[in-house]
Amino acid sequence: MKAEWQLAWRRFAVMLMKELKQLGRDRVLLAFIVYAFTADIFLAASGVSLSLNHAATLVQDLDRSPQSRELLSRFQQPYFRIDGTVGQDAAALAALDQGRAMLVLSVPPQFGRDLANGQPTSLAMQVDTTNSVLGFLATSHAQQIVSQYGLESAMQRLGMGEAATRNLPQVQNDIRVWYNPNQEDSWFMGISEMLNIATVFAVLLPAAAMVREKERGTVEQLIVSPLSPFGILLPKVVSMTGVILCGVALSLFLVLIPVFVIPVKGSLLLFFALSGLYVFTTAGLGLFAATIARNLAQAGMLSILILAPMLFLSGAWTPPEAMPGWLRGLMFASPLHYYLDIAFGILLKGQGLADLQSAILGMGGIGVLVFGAGLLLFRRQFD
Amino acid sequence: MSDTIIKASGFGKQYGGQFAVQGLDLEVHRGELYGLIGPDGAGKSSLMKAVAGVLSYEQGQLEVFGQLLDSERHAEAIKGRIGLMPQGLGQNLYGDLSIEENVDFFARLRLVPREEAAARKEQLLAITRLAAFRHRPMKQLSGGMKQKLGLVCTLIHAPQLIILDEPTTGVDPVSRRDFWAILATLIAGQGLTALVSTAYMDEASRFTRMSLLHQGSKLAEGSPAQILQRVPGCIVQCRVQPQLSAMQRLVARWPQCEAMGPEIRLFMPEPDQPAARQQVVDVLQGLECQQLDVLDAELEDVFVAMLGGKQTGTTAPDTMAAPAAPGSASQELAIEAKGLVKRFGDFVAVGDVSFQVRQGEIFGLLGANGAGKTTAIKMLTGILPPSSGSGRVAGADMKQAGALIKSRIGYMSQAFSLYLDLSVVENIRLYAGIYGLDRKARDVRLQWILDMAGLHGHENDLAAALPMGLRQRLALGCALVHQPRVLFLDEPTSGVDPLGRRAFWDILFRLSRQDGVAMLVTTHYMSEAEHCDHLALMFAGRVVADASPQQMKQQVLAEAGQLYRVYADNAAALVSPLQAAGFANVSPYGSALHVLTPDVERLQQVLRGLGVERPPQARPIAMEDVFVQRVSQLEAQSHATGSVA
Repeated sequence: MKAEWQLAWRRFAVMLMKELKQLGRDRVLLAFIVYAFTADIFLAASGVSLSLNHAATLVQDLDRSPQSRELLSRFQQPYFRIDGTVGQDAAALAALDQGRAMLVLSVPPQFGRDLANGQPTSLAMQVDTTNSVLGFLATSHAQQIVSQYGLESAMQRLGMGEAATRNLPQVQNDIRVWYNPNQEDSWFMGISEMLNIATVFAVLLPAAAMVREKERGTVEQLIVSPLSPFGILLPKVVSMTGVILCGVALSLFLVLIPVFVIPVKGSLLLFFALSGLYVFTTAGLGLFAATIARNLAQAGMLSILILAPMLFLSGAWTPPEAMPGWLRGLMFASPLHYYLDIAFGILLKGQGLADLQSAILGMGGIGVLVFGAGLLLFRRQFD
Repeated sequence: MSDTIIKASGFGKQYGGQFAVQGLDLEVHRGELYGLIGPDGAGKSSLMKAVAGVLSYEQGQLEVFGQLLDSERHAEAIKGRIGLMPQGLGQNLYGDLSIEENVDFFARLRLVPREEAAARKEQLLAITRLAAFRHRPMKQLSGGMKQKLGLVCTLIHAPQLIILDEPTTGVDPVSRRDFWAILATLIAGQGLTALVSTAYMDEASRFTRMSLLHQGSKLAEGSPAQILQRVPGCIVQCRVQPQLSAMQRLVARWPQCEAMGPEIRLFMPEPDQPAARQQVVDVLQGLECQQLDVLDAELEDVFVAMLGGKQTGTTAPDTMAAPAAPGSASQELAIEAKGLVKRFGDFVAVGDVSFQVRQGEIFGLLGANGAGKTTAIKMLTGILPPSSGSGRVAGADMKQAGALIKSRIGYMSQAFSLYLDLSVVENIRLYAGIYGLDRKARDVRLQWILDMAGLHGHENDLAAALPMGLRQRLALGCALVHQPRVLFLDEPTSGVDPLGRRAFWDILFRLSRQDGVAMLVTTHYMSEAEHCDHLALMFAGRVVADASPQQMKQQVLAEAGQLYRVYADNAAALVSPLQAAGFANVSPYGSALHVLTPDVERLQQVLRGLGVERPPQARPIAMEDVFVQRVSQLEAQSHATGSVA
């Protein structure tokens, strides 16, 4: 019995070393992995932002009164950037059509006089909502500015100064921002990009390693050897899991923590342990791709096909509560969804094992199913 | 010779600083079937692509149809008159299109007028006998049919020069012979010139003239007869007991010496045949000589002699590990297949296959693509469970002890299954680990493999950097790392040059005779089948012949008669009249024909009627003739009974 184990261990060790050596000699793939875990995450964290920033705004002031100037001057950086004025409606539309402006504010003539006379008046705002999120944000910011101005000018007309505003029976909304006090987009974007990249490689690397053997014909040699299908797969998945964990460490310690000052609130050990479990089990999807694909190109395309819904249904972009019912159901089948909860929970919220119990169970359960199915499929192709 | 079609002077092609071809001079004349012969990497493809105007070159000059190919524009000017068929089965064709659609596509691509294209299509499909399958998608065709379709598509715009890059590689012998016959007919009938490359040495005699390329330069040029005269000599083939000691004596004197099953075949640079016989008899003094024949040398022998036959005997050590029953095969069974059947759904891939391989025997499994060889091997190596039947391999039962079999056998596949990004030593250590060798045993075997394969000095080279011959021997070493008693070799010599192939067979011979390793080999090279002690021929999933190579040859001699070579100026044009006169087995070989017939007088008579006065010469029958004869017979039978479509 002991000899059996020794033999199995020896086989596992040589196969593991072989995988690592092969990966080490594939300079292109190696460079790609390093790029993805460092530069790509840096770009995602610093470049992608979901807030309104410097929205190009044009104004069409047909009134030219102190009131209109006062209102327009409130559209300020960082949200809005006044790029200039337009004279005619057609020019305003053209600027929107050509994408030179995202927002056009039109103040009608007699705006100031109406206000001064106590007449209700209005203001036209045209918004380019091609990007629905930004359009929505621009609208709501602008609305806030306009209503604040409207409130103030109404008070003024009633003869009440600024001090009086405070005495009105207003409801104040006191916000407490937890976990990300400065509401840095870079934290969210950086971490979720890191998790996405880990997922992509968790599927792609084992698939590539397996398909390469198929293409070269070396898998035939392995099958006639005393190695079992599991004995062929396990070293691949373990070595690729190791490589991906190194990549995650790279992005945490070289990019996210030093550059974007992400606080690691929880246990890093727990984070890496659960990441390992996640990557290992997700490799099952890669095995699935490798079983069907005949060459590297096919494996790559299949991986993209598998990954796209996984990433979109992960909850990184939309929380499950906001999704239609049937999609929400699907979401609970995506292991990435649980992994996101776990990673954000440990890194930003400082959650421990007890808090993450249900997420870990979900991820582990689905992972075991996925890996088991991948293994079964992989074995079947040789029967 | 009339006008020159291709003229290369000092031609050279470089890839990343390394010359693939260098300083090559060559002339091809109108109406020639010109051969480029050489192993992978000899520079054949580079030259052919340059002639077709699709590859630029660095050195010398290349003229095609008198047009100097020195620019894109000049190359464009001759492309209309050239047809190129690239290497690889059906590589230039579209798998999802039918035969007819493929032909039509190429006709339109070449802007052939509609009516002309239709007429030529019918003619070419008739010559290639593809007309009956015109609606079948290309991907469902056999290798031989794909190549015929490739030829039709290459010819549809009526080129004056066709360039065919290894058109017969990977095609079974019967289809190969068919392909050559069609090519000869077309060249004779349509005034074509053809530049054709091949890696099969035994096809060399089919060319009118040829160049032998080796590592980017030309070793020899001329007609088959001219090349044979370059190294005058003869072949001595003998059967001596004990074979191993006879072999040792003969190799010491004539290095170009190889074992063919129980026989020994050697090339001697001595054109006087009786003198050659005497020399061999003298050397074999004291051994039991059962049979001794002196024959004419073949082109391959001359090529090997020119390549430097000195190094044929590799550095294989005389004492190999685990010496078992020396001498001839023992009675112990290494492989025993009893009524093996494998069905995939309704399709019977292997139906009722039985054979036996003894310890120390080299057993050859022959058959066309799809005959069931690979499936049979997969069952015997424990990869595929049989649908019914039983078998024992290396003393273990196939059905119950698959895992045990796997640990006792060695397997070498066609792809040489090496990790190209690992070094020689790393590859060996990997397989040693997989087979569970401990560090000490591993290091002993590592040394043994390096000795056996002649890999010293290459220990840390990546497998990708090794030449094919060394790569092949490394793969053999890896398959032998755990000292298996049974070795499976699935087309182990594809893509290796003749010298490398000989060295390889030499190692296999020693393994079988000194160590008593049993081997089951499949091969496409019919000349290699002669190295086997015993052969089984598979057809449509069944073993249809099971005998030694000599027995198989004798059987064919008894049934179909002796093989004769007919020399004639218009050899290719004689094929159809001879067939019409009732000679079924006629095959064109350059400026000669091979005819298999029991009635030589009648042949002579018919030939005289056709204006050929030179009497046919009797020739020893080759394994290829046996294979083609047997398989054509079976194909005719199955067509007659309608059991196989």
